[in-house]
Parts: sequence; C-alpha cells; structure tokens
Amino acid sequence: MEILIASAIGTLTTCGIYLMLRARTFPVILGLSLLSYAVNLFLFISGRIKLNAPPIIGSGAYTDPLPQALVLTAIVISFGMTAVLVIMALGAYLTAGHDRIDLYADKEKAIKASARIRGHESDSRAEDQP
Amino acid sequence: MSPLLILPIILPAVLAGGIILFASNALNLQRAISVLGTLALLGLAISLSQAPTQAYFLGNWPAPFGIALVLDGLSALMLLLTASLALIILIHTIRTGWDACGRHFHALYLFQLMGLNGAFLTGDAFNLFVFFEVLLIASYGLMVHGSGEARIRAGVQYVAFNLLGSTLFLFALAVIYSTTGTLNMADLAQKLPQIAANDTGLIRVAAVLLMLVFAVKAALVPLQFWLPGTYANAPGPVAALFAVMTKVGAYALIRFGTLVFPTDLPATTTLLAGLLYPAALATIAIGALGTLATRTLPRQIAFAAIGSMGTLLLTVSAFTPQATAAALYYTVHSTFAAAALFLIADVCRTRRDGLTAALYMAAAIAMAGMPPLSGFVGKLLVLDALRDDAIAWTAILLASLLTMIGFARQGSDLFWKSPSAEAPAQSKAAILLCLTALAALTIAAGPITDQLTLTAEALHQPAAYIAANHLGGPK
Amino acid sequence: MSLALIAALPFLGALTPALTQRFGRSIATVTIAVFTATALALILQHLPAIMAGQAVTTQIAWLPSLGLNANFRLDGLSLLFSLLILGIGLLIQAYACFYLDASEPYARFLTYLMLFQGAMLGIVLSDNILLLLVFWELTSLSSFLLIGFWSHLPQARQGARMALATTGAGGLAMIAGLMILGHIVGSYDLSAILSQKAAIQASPLYLPALILILLGAFTKSAQFPFHFWLPHAMAAPTPVSAYLHSATMVKAGLFLMARLWPVLSGTPEWFWIVTGAGLITMAFAAKVALFKDDLKAILAYSTVSHLGLITFLLGLGTKTAATAAIFHIICHATFKAALFMLAGIVDHATHIRDIRALGGLRRAMPISFGLATIATLAMAGIPPLNGFLSKEMMLEEAAHTAPWIIPALATIAALLSVAYALRFLTYTFLGPTPAYAHAPHDPTPGLWLPPAILVVLVVATGLAPMPLTAWLVDVATAATTGAPIHANIALWHGLDPPALWMSLAVIGGAIVTLGLYPALRRIWDATPKPQAKAIFDASLTGLTQTAATLIEKLHNGSLSRAFSLALLTILTLGFYAYHSAESLPGTRALTPIALAPAVGVALLITAAIAATTLHRKRLLALLLVGIVGLILSAGFAYLSAPDLALTQIAVEVVTIALMLLALNFLPKTTPRKTAALRKARDAALAVTTGVATAALAYALMMREAIFPPISAFHLAQSVPGAGGHNAVNTIIVDFRGYDTYGEIIVLGIAALLIFALTENLLGTKWATRPHQTAGDAGDPHPILLQTATRLILPMAMLVGCYLFLRGHNQPGGGFVAGLVFAIGFVLQYIASGQDWTAARRRIPYHAMIGAGVLVASATGVGSFLAGRPFLTSNYTHIQLPPLQDFELATAALFDLGVFLCVLGAVMLALDALARLAKPQEGR
Repeated sequence: MEILIASAIGTLTTCGIYLMLRARTFPVILGLSLLSYAVNLFLFISGRIKLNAPPIIGSGAYTDPLPQALVLTAIVISFGMTAVLVIMALGAYLTAGHDRIDLYADKEKAIKASARIRGHESDSRAEDQP
Repeated sequence: MSPLLILPIILPAVLAGGIILFASNALNLQRAISVLGTLALLGLAISLSQAPTQAYFLGNWPAPFGIALVLDGLSALMLLLTASLALIILIHTIRTGWDACGRHFHALYLFQLMGLNGAFLTGDAFNLFVFFEVLLIASYGLMVHGSGEARIRAGVQYVAFNLLGSTLFLFALAVIYSTTGTLNMADLAQKLPQIAANDTGLIRVAAVLLMLVFAVKAALVPLQFWLPGTYANAPGPVAALFAVMTKVGAYALIRFGTLVFPTDLPATTTLLAGLLYPAALATIAIGALGTLATRTLPRQIAFAAIGSMGTLLLTVSAFTPQATAAALYYTVHSTFAAAALFLIADVCRTRRDGLTAALYMAAAIAMAGMPPLSGFVGKLLVLDALRDDAIAWTAILLASLLTMIGFARQGSDLFWKSPSAEAPAQSKAAILLCLTALAALTIAAGPITDQLTLTAEALHQPAAYIAANHLGGPK
Repeated sequence: MSLALIAALPFLGALTPALTQRFGRSIATVTIAVFTATALALILQHLPAIMAGQAVTTQIAWLPSLGLNANFRLDGLSLLFSLLILGIGLLIQAYACFYLDASEPYARFLTYLMLFQGAMLGIVLSDNILLLLVFWELTSLSSFLLIGFWSHLPQARQGARMALATTGAGGLAMIAGLMILGHIVGSYDLSAILSQKAAIQASPLYLPALILILLGAFTKSAQFPFHFWLPHAMAAPTPVSAYLHSATMVKAGLFLMARLWPVLSGTPEWFWIVTGAGLITMAFAAKVALFKDDLKAILAYSTVSHLGLITFLLGLGTKTAATAAIFHIICHATFKAALFMLAGIVDHATHIRDIRALGGLRRAMPISFGLATIATLAMAGIPPLNGFLSKEMMLEEAAHTAPWIIPALATIAALLSVAYALRFLTYTFLGPTPAYAHAPHDPTPGLWLPPAILVVLVVATGLAPMPLTAWLVDVATAATTGAPIHANIALWHGLDPPALWMSLAVIGGAIVTLGLYPALRRIWDATPKPQAKAIFDASLTGLTQTAATLIEKLHNGSLSRAFSLALLTILTLGFYAYHSAESLPGTRALTPIALAPAVGVALLITAAIAATTLHRKRLLALLLVGIVGLILSAGFAYLSAPDLALTQIAVEVVTIALMLLALNFLPKTTPRKTAALRKARDAALAVTTGVATAALAYALMMREAIFPPISAFHLAQSVPGAGGHNAVNTIIVDFRGYDTYGEIIVLGIAALLIFALTENLLGTKWATRPHQTAGDAGDPHPILLQTATRLILPMAMLVGCYLFLRGHNQPGGGFVAGLVFAIGFVLQYIASGQDWTAARRRIPYHAMIGAGVLVASATGVGSFLAGRPFLTSNYTHIQLPPLQDFELATAALFDLGVFLCVLGAVMLALDALARLAKPQEGR
C-alpha cells in the first residue's frame, strides 16, 4: 500500500511539475493543482497509513487526526489561491491579448515594458561617448 | 498571559472586516479606519517592545498541543518595524491618492499587516505557514491594485512562484511532523537535540527544505527571480511596503537558524550556515550587478533590495550574537532605505525636481551604505561582525561601489539630464519620514545596537523563549 | 563640546542658503561666511594650547560597542589643515559671490560648498578613524554635487560620476584598510593607534592594511594611476576647482598619509609604494601639463604633479622630508588657489580657456597679469617666492635619496614644471593680442581681491618664511611625526647644498625645453597615448554592459526558468542534506494492498499522465485533473479520512467549475511551439523531482515518528476538552482554531482580491475578445438541466445545513457546508447562464466576507469576556427534540464565520466571471 501511495505522490508531482514548466497560464494552473494534490497527500501520510480507523471518537482505533486537520487547512488555502490565480490569469489574458506567462516573451516587449515603467529612457550610454 | 499579544493580529482583521461590511464605498472612512488602526498597531508594537519574553496560548490549550504565540525581542522588533513602515506608507498612499485607483486597498492593507504580525508572533511552524499564506495573498491583492497589463502579468508570475514556495513549505512541514511528531517551534528546539546521530537524514532534509522556503521569501539567489518583476510593477507604495516582505524570510531564517536548527545542533550543525553563505554571496553579486546594469529606477531599486538581502543573510549566516545583532540593525535600515527609494521612484514618475533629487540622493547613499545615514553604520557593524572573512568584506565593499555607481548614474540621468517640474508636486512627507527613521537609526545607533545585542544574545540562548512555552505538559 | 561644534558649524551653515537666498546673494554669502569665520575663530582660540604641544580633544560616545565615536582632536596637523580649509574657504566664498552668473542656483551652490567644507573639516578634526571615514565619504559625495553643479553639461555629469566612482572606490578600500588597522590595535581611536607603531608594523595584516589605506589616499589625492578623475573634475565652476584642488579635497589623501605617518611609514613597503607613486605622478603629470592648452587643464595636471611631490616627500619617511611636505602643502594651497581664481577671471573676461587663442592680456588686464605672474612663478619655484623654498627642500631631500633615479626624476619633474608654468604665463598674458569678441578688462575687486590676498601670502612667506610659517610648520610636522621639530626654512643655504645646483639645472633645462617646444609638441601629438578617461569609460561601460547582459539573460522574465532553477536547487540541496548524514532504515511493516485501492491508484496515475500529455486540449486536461481529484477524494475516504474526502470532493467540484467557466474566456488549446529538447529537459526534471518526492514519502511512511506525536493529546481531549467526537473537527475549530482563523482570512482576502480585480478589469480596455464560443453561457439553456438545478439548489442548502450542524461530531463543518451551498449556485449558473446569476447579483457577497471575518473574530474575542485567551471555546449540551443530542459549542459560531467566508468567496468568484462575461457582448 505504501508503495502505491508513494508512486501516486511521485506521479502527481511529476505531472504537476511538467505542466508548471509550460509557457501558458492555463497549463501552469493545472500543474499547480496537480502539485497541490501531491503535497496534500504527502502531508496526509505524515500521519502514516491506518485503514478503517477514522478519528471519530468512539470507534476504538484512530489514525492520527492532526495531519488530516492540516491537510484540510491546506486544501482550503490552496482553493483560495487557485481561485485567485485563475482570475488573475484571466485578467492577464484579457488585458494582454495572449496567455503567455513569461514576462518578456520578446525583446521589443521588454523595452516597451521598461519604458512604460519609468516613462523615460536613459541615454547616458550615448553620453559616455561625446 | 497578556491579551496584547493577540491584538496585532485580530485588530487589523476586525477593522478590515468592518471596512468590507460597513465602509466598502466610503473611501474617507476607510482611510480613517486604516490610519487609526495602523496608529494603534504602532502603539501596540511600542508597548510590546518593552514586554518580557512571553507566550500566549490560543484557545487556552497548552503548548505544544495548541498554537502558541511567542513574543520575544526579535518579534517585537519586527512588529515595530512593520507598524512604523506601514504608517509611513499609508500616509504616502493617501496623500498621493493611490488608494483610490482600485477597490479595497485599505482592507487588503490591513490584512497584509495582520499576516505580517501573525508570522512574526507565531511560535508554531504550521501556523507560520498559514500566516505566510495570509500575508502572501494580501500581497497579491496589493500587487495588482490598480491593475494594468504589465502589473497583472507580473502578478501572475508572483503568485505562481509563491505557490511553489507554499507547496514546498507543506512538504517541509510534513517531513517535520512525520519525524518529530510536533509542530511547536520551542518543542522542536527541545526535541531535535535528542535525535540519534545515526538517524538525522530526514530532519536534515526538512531543515534544508524550510530554509529554501524562507529563501524564496528572502529572494536569495537562485530563488530571487520573482522579485524584480514584482517590485518594479507593483504600485509605488506597495513596492515600498514589500520592503518588509523579504524581511519575513530573513526573520524566519534567523528564528529557525537560532531556535530550531542552531549551529550546535548535532543533526544539522553548520548545514544551513554553509548553504546560506554562498547563496548570500551570489545574492550580493546579482543585486549589485543588477543595480549597476538596470536602467529603470523601480527595477534598479528592486535589484538593490536583492543585494541588501544578500548582505543581510551573509551576516546572518555567521550565526554569532554579534553578527545577528548587526543583521538586525541592517534589517531595519535596509527596510526603510528601500521603502524610501520606492516612494521616491513613485514620485519621480511624474516630476523630478530639486527636492526629489535631494531625497533621492539621501536614500540612494543610504542604500549603497555610504555615510552619513544608517547604511554606513550598518555596513561597519556587518564588516566588524565578519572581521575574519576577507571574501565577505570584498563582496560587501564591491557591492557598495557598484550600487553607488549605478545609483549615481541613475540620479544624474533622472535629475540632472532630464529634470522636469511641470507636473504638480506630490507629497513627500512619507519619504521624509523614512529618511528621518534612517537618521534616527544613525544618531541613536549606540543605544539601538545595545538593545539589538541583547535581542541577538537571547536568540542564541533561547532558554527564555522555550521556557515561555511552558512545555512541561497540560496544565 | 567645542570641537564638535566647530565641526558642525559648516553643516549648520549649509542649511542657511535656503533661508537667506531671498535676501540676495550678498546676504546669503555673508551668512555662510559667518559660519566659516566663526569656526576659524574657534580653532584659533585653541592656538596657545597647540603651540604648547598639546592636542585638544572632544569625546562624544556614539556607537561605543563598535568603537565608532564622535571623537575630535585638534593638534598641529589638524590646525594647519583647518586653517587652509576655512581660510581659503572664506576667500572662495567671496570669489564665488562675484563669479557665478545671476541665473544660476546660487543657494544650492553655497549649500554644496558648505557641506563639502564641513566634510573636509570633519576629516581633519576626527580622532576616530571610523568617524574620519564618515567624513571621507562625505567629501566624495559633496564633491560629486559640486563637480556636477552645471548639471546641464554632459562633461560635468561625467566628471562628477568619474570623481565619485574613483574616490568612492578608494574610500571603500580605505574602510577595509582602516578597519584592519583598528582590529590590529584593538581601537579605532587615533590616539590609541598612533602609539602602536611596533604592533602594527609587525602584524601580518600590515601590508594589506597599508595597500588598502593607500588606495584611499591615492585616489583622493589623484596619484598615478588614479589621477585621471582630477582633470575631468575641472568641469566644475572655477571657485569649486580652486577650492577642491588647492586646499581641500585632493589634500585629504595627503592629510591621511601624514596623519598615519607615525605608524605606517618607515618600512620598505611604505617607502617604495608611496615614494614611487609620488615620483611617477610628479614627473608624469608635469609632462602632461606641458602639452595641455586649456587653462584649467594645465592647472589640473600641475595640481596632480604637486600632489605627487608631496606624496613623494611623505614616502621618504624622514622627518626633514615630512617638514618639506608640510611646508609645500601650505605653499601649494596658496599659489594654486590663486592661480585657479585667476584662470577663472581670464575665462570670465574672454570666455576663452585655450591658451593658444589667448595672449596679450598684460595690457588689458594689468592687475590680473601682476597677480598671475607672481603666482605662476611661485608654482615654477622661482625665488624669492614660497614655491621656491619648498621646491628647494624637496630637491635637497631627493638628492640624498638612493638610487640615482630618484633625484634624477625629481629634477626632471621640477624642470617640466618650470616649463609649463612659463608657457602658461607667456601664452596667456604676453605676446600679441588676438581679436577678442569682447574687449577684456580686469574684473571688479570682488573677484581679484581673494587671489590678491593669497599672492601677498605667497610673497610674504617667500621673503620671511621663518617668522610667518615656521611656527605652523613646526607644530604640524611635530604632530605628523610625533616628535618636536624646528624647521629651518631659508632662501639661501649657501653654495653647498646640491639643491642649488639642481635648481639651476632645472631653470636651464626649462628654457631649453621651451625653446624646443614646437618640436616636442609635434612628437607629443604624434605619439599615441593611453587615455585614462577612455580606459576608465571603457572598463566601466564594459562592466555595465556585461552586467546588463548577464542580468538580462538571467532575469529574462521566464517563469519556467525560475521554476527550473528553483527545482534544481531544491533537489540538489535536499539530496545533499539527506546523503551527507546517516539514516536508519524503516521499521514499519507494509500495509497489505487490496484490489480496489490498487485500481484506484492505477486510475489516478493514468488520469494524471493523460492530463499531462493531452494538456494542449485544455478542456480535456481540466476534466482529467478533476478526475484525479475525485479519485484522491475516494482515496482519503479509504485511508480513514472522511472529512478530507468530503472536503476534497466539494472543493474539487467548485474548483473545476470555476476553471471551466474561466476556460470559457481563454483559448481552448495551447499552441504547439515547444522544442523537443526543452520538453525532454522539463520531463527529466519533472521525473527526477517526482521520484525524489516518492522516495521521501516512502521513507516517511516506513518509519515511526521519533517522538510520540502531539496528536495523542488531541484524541484524548477531543471529547472532554473540546466537546466533539470528530477529532479532526475539534482540531480545526478548537485545538488549532487559530489556523482556521487564518485560513478563512485567506479566503476572505481571495474574494476581495477577485472583486477588486474584476472592478479594475471592467474599467480597462481589453486587448482581446474572450474566446467565447456559441452555445455557451448567454444562449438558451436546456430546460431540463435548468429545472433540475432549480431543484438541486434547495437540496444543496439542506445538505449544507446538515453537514454544518453535525460537523463537530461527524465529518462535515462550516467549510464543507459553505461549499455545498456554493455548488448549488454554481450549477445554477452553469445551467441558467449569467443573466440569471446577474439578476441575483444584488446579494452583497463581499459583505458576507466581512461578516464572516467579524463573526469568527467576535467568537474568538468573546472568550476575553470569560478572561480566557482568544478562541477559547465553550460548549454546552442541548436537546433539540427532533434532532439527536448535540453540543452547542462556541466553535459552531466560529464555524459560521468559516461558512460565510467560503460561500462569499465562491460566489464572488462566480460573480466576477459573470460580470466579465457580460460586458464583452457590447465590445
């Protein structure tokens, strides 16, 4: 059983990371979701595996309840984060007209962006050679 | 148990909740609540900075079973730093009207303070994760405040990268709980030395993973990539507030490096220090080269901020009381210096007049570690603490030079070559306050370093911190 | 206090121009002059004590733990420099008042000047070397402002930056040097350091300290090869040049060498480095000065040459040489300040600085001519002027120093300086008068009086050196060398001294040189010369561009790059941490595998891999990810975690629904652009990380915790302490309720963020139309689905209420309840479209967030009323007849806060999507 779970964690991590390394927002979000499954499962097994022992007082045998509580918190938080990231990615797509995640996909873009930030380009390089 | 310990966390939360519920369309009311709240936080921080080391047991559950807040010199210092910076930046935001550029700035701002305060006060490793998330998500909100294409896209990267950091945090916590069965930091400090010498592999992994999580926050090379895009694209006052965000990473590194994984812990010994040191050197290098090479002011300040984190963590990596005291001084200094510069960059967007130039020069020399402001004192303290380390000296001094050259060129381009005074002047009160803080830090360097030395000594002898948790068992 | 006050006076004066400028230039000048004069008077007040061989000190603790204190010291050496700084400072102030154009920001100029004066005065009065460093760097910074004062001129900006970079770099080296010195001695106080010669010179750190300190001194005093900044600093207004390059800035390096002379000099290292640098600088700069045509450039190189002369003398390490050095500092300050001012007068009168275009000014400007003649001859070292005296002393010292190259070079340098001085004078004032655009004439007395005063001094000290200067030279040299000295300065030492014969050779040689000048000039012009400025620029530009390339390459805005590097770091360091220590093997037995979980895991792995390989088809990938989540939820149920299973499934449904709706706007496929190599690289990284994670997970599962987990307490106290049977729920609402408090804040903030972002998006121009395909929201919807969901909504609410109420004892709770409610609404939205949802937008969802935060906070604060800490729970058992017996815990109220936040967050996100979908129809 432990081997099965470890391979599940490994696969989820692998797939999550591969998708995270893509260049568009949507696959990256999917990747982060898969990675959060992996970490939730990982956090969960920090209490180790115990079958048929839910931590409801009265049943006799209990698995460790604390990791479960931690995973609950983690799930909720990652839900909030995912919602935020989805809407932000949407906003980025609507304002930029594309969903590339890299900031300066091409050189022109970089120059445009930096010019916008300060609204003024330095030319002291030219000044250095009078 | 003084209820004052929990107030820095619930006060901003309640005020933010109140703003959302009752004042979501009344900007002036929001401003009033925000200012009063921040003032109250400052008052709280001042009163807490005089309090002895103590714990606060949430839900009245004893440590390590419930969550404990622990106040010591370091957390009090960070609270004070956060509150004073927050007040200054709030003034700037209101005077420049940044808060009117989007919705809910003040609620997000208060939540941000809540997250920061919570992270500084908690004595529980998992709770630290939770408050990291609070402060992060609030920072996402502030980062995209007022939006615009570049800002949202930079924001997406910021969020995505920090999600990786948060995931890593959970991995580390899972390893810690799985091996030690506890999450309370003082409890960990007591238990880790008992681990058998032939069974330390996993706890070492946990230590390294945690260090990397904090290194993401602290923008330590090679985990610094999120910072320039984020700081350069964030609204000016938000970037200024973010000066304290990297310090959260530094705080956590200092806290865990002295309390949980001190260098005399057999399991980890100098593992963290040994990894921190080269990373900090690389951070100094990237920061300095970036400051030298970058043409746009906000991005340049962002690199200078990276460089200052390098210096700070290089000092931390020595893990001696003297070095820690120097690092704490440098923390306060670099926060105000970076904040001042970001606020100046904000003002410079529209108008570059003589007064702004003077303020820029003062802030830039502080950042570069030139006299007379606290950067120089901080640099001397750091050099003195690392007195046997020629590499560190060379790195710090060279970085100072490159930073100075970079800022001198930027200033000469901005204010000498293309001054502009057509746009209406913006309020510079907040910038002046930041510089006043730097001046005060310089003039009162003696008493301040004495106090910080006590704080640092307590960090390296954490008996009082551990005792405050009353780990004996259920009462 | 007095010395600290003196040091502070110029800084206080720097504040006044801003206030006095409205009263006119004279008032502003007089005001700052009062500060300078007061400082001078206060210094002179200590004269008797200093003449008696004492040093006046003031000590103020600043940062005692570091050894940085505001300790000041006034002895003979600092007296000499203070007199130069303040005395010449007064003349410069007067001169500047008449020199600068009415249109220039005069107040700013005065402020910079006073800042600089204060920094210089601070250097010479410091008794603590760290304090000295503070003032040292301040001179670099304030001179940056002064040199760049005409900031509209590119050469002013460049000159300022070059001076700052060079002297700043030296200053940083000096920080290291002086700190090493302090560490050797154990104190940063000069009084302590100066008595530790033996310890310092015996230390293995002596040489590094010496080199670093000399780097500071040489850059400041423009010694070869750091001389290049000085000529470019001539872009400053002439009063600045006159001040910085005669009496102050460049003398700071000499001051430092003199100050530390007792402990650093006398070693072969000191001798060779300092003497060598000085001699080379002296000869080299004199040669360059001979071939310069710009008035100020000639003076600039002459300054460099004379600084070399003084450095050379200090390097010799003998007391008589030190005496000569001190005396020449005085002489050079007087004649060079005068010459700079006169050059400014000529420039002012003719607007020409090229001496080849000048000439014949003796007629038009007789006063200037007279003054310039005397000052120039002093510079050339012609008797009976003071420059002659000090040059004789220098030649005398050189003559007694082996090897022969030293006196030879000194003679050549002296020869060249006579030559350039004569050329300077003759080209400007003698010869035929060219046609000037404006007829030049002598300026107002305001401009010529300050140099005239200096010229009087030049003559007087030349004629009567003993009564006028010997006392000052004596105390200054005594303070420098640490031993009483009685200098013997005279015009005539008889026929014996070799200096006399060398001087004669110098003058003869100079005349020959001038005679051969056209030929020499042709050779000079034809020889390629390494241009220090070009080298400096090229190296700085090269460094900057290399840095820019490196930084741009590294920080190219690529997120996957950042991710890859982060993952590599994590993997490497994690692997290292594990394998650099021992670990025990796992001891737990494997849990047997049943068929169902095996199939489940196989499905999960298949779905995850399918989602990854098919990720370009976004809808499909999303659904596959959803399937992974559902299997995970089943897995939690199987692994004794019913709460997790419930939460996971609810979250999954809502998340996937939100992403589906968002996908509505986004492109439906990902373009296929990635190179195969990059794919392989990413896959390798992903697989490695996956394997590492799996191995770590396996290692953890196979071992027991080293210490008994704290959760034993939670299980034991769940019912008696927290009043609930569901230990997971009691942990999240009670034992660790504070985590949950943070968690709902996260949700609340998420909702606020989404709301604020949507508002912004609605107000900005979009670059694209959403990829909304026909048949989606907005079009008629299947009536069956609509009806079904209308029924589902109340059912969802009912289930939600049930889950909420039982959460404390059975799986459930506020979070799941909120999600179940939300699912009802989400389905409604999907089935009925955004119009339906939009119509119900009146519900202030974000007020719900506020309410949720407040309810949760209030529950926590409520425990204050009972004198308990935040979030202390209280509970009571109540009987509600239709339901079973259940505890009503304050935790339930807390759960209500959770519920409100969750529902509010989901609804706000949904609302955001609806609102974003709506306006696009009009676009």
